[in-house]
Amino acid sequence: MQIIGDILLTTRDDTPDEQGASITYLIRKANISHGRISKILNNLVAQGLLEQSNSGGACKYKISHVGREFLQAYNTFNKFADGYGLTI
Amino acid sequence: MEIFLENILNLVGFIVGMVIGIISYIGFRNTGSPTLFRLTLAFLSIGAGFFIMWFGQTLDIFVYKTGQIERWVQTLGIAVQTVGYFFIAFSHTIKSFFPKSNYLRSIGMVPLFLISFISIENIIRSISFILLAYGAIETLMSYFASRRKTAILVACGLWALAFGEFLGWYYFVFPQSILNVVSISVKISGLIMLFIPVTKVPLTKIKFDENL
Repeated sequence: MQIIGDILLTTRDDTPDEQGASITYLIRKANISHGRISKILNNLVAQGLLEQSNSGGACKYKISHVGREFLQAYNTFNKFADGYGLTI
Repeated sequence: MEIFLENILNLVGFIVGMVIGIISYIGFRNTGSPTLFRLTLAFLSIGAGFFIMWFGQTLDIFVYKTGQIERWVQTLGIAVQTVGYFFIAFSHTIKSFFPKSNYLRSIGMVPLFLISFISIENIIRSISFILLAYGAIETLMSYFASRRKTAILVACGLWALAFGEFLGWYYFVFPQSILNVVSISVKISGLIMLFIPVTKVPLTKIKFDENL
């Protein structure tokens, strides 16, 4: 869950350009392997949390409207769980 | 007097358990987090346990008028609550034992062999005490890691519930004493402290799941 939160946060607040963040950029930010992040990104795109686009032959990822709402809920309930000494 | 106080405790426990359970469920539906699912099970079980006892007592006050709740109803209510305490402790276990701690694992098991097997209710109360004490310790450790103030209040709430269970268990030894009233009061204060993180959730900003 935390990796998903980090990816969404990066694609919302920390993209290098307007077209979105590349896989390499996200790997550096989330600090996980290429194979693992590819599966997570495919899942997030399939669920409509991220939007995928092709820019100059490279895949770029941008947060979608649903993704923004998910991230807001994630932050809210992360604090809630943290109040009970847990992480979501 | 005592049965009315106990009735209030059970009603407060039911309401607090259900509200936290529902908030956790909304969180689970919106994020799919397994931690929030376990919190949902925990607090709905705690709420259901208090409800069983409240219902049994209310029936006794207004219908049977024996002045004492049926023993099997009380045992059932405490057992259902213990399931809830188990899920709280279990969530902390999952969080803590991925980085394995042999020390905590060893001291966590010892009290299970020291409990008195006088009756089912006593056993369940003992298990509740262990689970609550464990949850309180883990929450306190989380507070030291995150310094979030609500965590220390929840830790105090779990300690108060654990202490209340302990006094309730001790009440079997001295049945005519004031221990039961003290136990109930301590548990009510514990439940109120557990409710504090819910007040920090900005409900107006949460987008509720359309299928909920």
